[in-house]
Amino acid sequence: MGDEYNPTILQGQHTNDDEILAKTPLDEKALGGDSSVIIMELLQRFKVRDVMKRQVLCISRRATLREAQALMRENRISGLPVSENGRLYGIVSVNDIIKGLDGGWMNDVCEDHMATNLVVLEAGMPLAFALRYFNNYTYGRFPVLDSNRQLVGIISQRDVMRALLYELSVEIRKLERKTRQMQPQEEKKEEHYFRKEWAVVRNDLSRAGHAANDIKGILRERKIDRTVVRRVAVAAYELEINICIHSHGGVMVLLITDDDVTVTAKDRGPGIPDIEWACRDGTSTANDWIRSLGFGAGMGLSNSKRVSDKFDIQSEVGKFTKVQCVFSIPKKEE
Amino acid sequence: MTIADVVKILDGKLMAGDGTSPRVVGAVVANDLMSDVLLYDADDILLLTSLASDQAIRTAHIVGAMGVVVHNAKPLSETMLKVANDLGIPLVSSPLSKYDACVRLHDAFLAEERA
Repeated sequence: MGDEYNPTILQGQHTNDDEILAKTPLDEKALGGDSSVIIMELLQRFKVRDVMKRQVLCISRRATLREAQALMRENRISGLPVSENGRLYGIVSVNDIIKGLDGGWMNDVCEDHMATNLVVLEAGMPLAFALRYFNNYTYGRFPVLDSNRQLVGIISQRDVMRALLYELSVEIRKLERKTRQMQPQEEKKEEHYFRKEWAVVRNDLSRAGHAANDIKGILRERKIDRTVVRRVAVAAYELEINICIHSHGGVMVLLITDDDVTVTAKDRGPGIPDIEWACRDGTSTANDWIRSLGFGAGMGLSNSKRVSDKFDIQSEVGKFTKVQCVFSIPKKEE
Repeated sequence: MTIADVVKILDGKLMAGDGTSPRVVGAVVANDLMSDVLLYDADDILLLTSLASDQAIRTAHIVGAMGVVVHNAKPLSETMLKVANDLGIPLVSSPLSKYDACVRLHDAFLAEERA
């Protein structure tokens, strides 16, 4: 902290400044005790001269209080430095005017009633000093002197705030630019998905359809379009029955993403020697037992294919069959 | 025509599910082949079938049927009744043949239209 800047008091000590400095060892106190590094840096980097108003409205010592009052009213200010040839003699405040009106001495000269216990700032002081002064004195503004003790400006809390806000906005813009550069150009879309599996046991028709019924319930809970739900359920049911009656057992897998629903049926078993033939309507290798249970009409694969948006089947004789049906989820209108 | 009306029309008996369901019949499908049933794209199907198995109920659930009628008074297994109750599908047993059941339902629809 620049303690080489001693607070300047004109014509008499208004307050003990050593005491003020002792009470406020850090500038954070003026800002609430939890200032950011940027603000602290700004308060040190900026000098009073960078923020003060350079055009100072003044009045001479011989002017009357009434003239001072008129000048203050016209310019909407509450304090008027009394200065001649750059030298500051005192300040006439609203309080002095009120006293003059009350006491009937409005025609007296300013010199007789102005405040002379003045606390002033030097132009080269860091802004932190000004802030500390505003925090410790009740004055709304301080005159600013240069190193030759000449009046060069006046500084109010509003001037400090305006300058700080402007500089902060500049710093924040810089930070925003930096943050943008650090972010990846295109954020990866977060994927939401749901996956569930069901085991399907060979020839256990009492359980067959269980997975398809569950799948329908899950899709309905998720409020997926009802026509899609129906198509998915039909395919899942046919594929589940196929695993049950044609294979040695397998698994049904449901995968739901934001965009589509996929049902995969994979089994261990005899496989399909001629996939094209198996996918035709009415072709089946089902026996009478299967037919007696309402299936085996050779509609399973063709039905699944018919209702799917994408259909894929792979099979290896003696090993496995894998069927995948994909259904697009229509986008909900905003 | 609700499931309660169907019970009356077909001289049937409610064996499982909610007999007071307010859902009305949207279409009648009479079929014993479940893959065929899965092809129908209609709402609130009433399924008439002689297939007295769990699969008739599961198929009905997949297509969103409002009820199942098993004709010819075929005996219904306990598991079939349980699946119907679990999936909330009203299950009716009727002594009529499939043909007679269809004729009665057809007549009832015509009467409904006239009324």
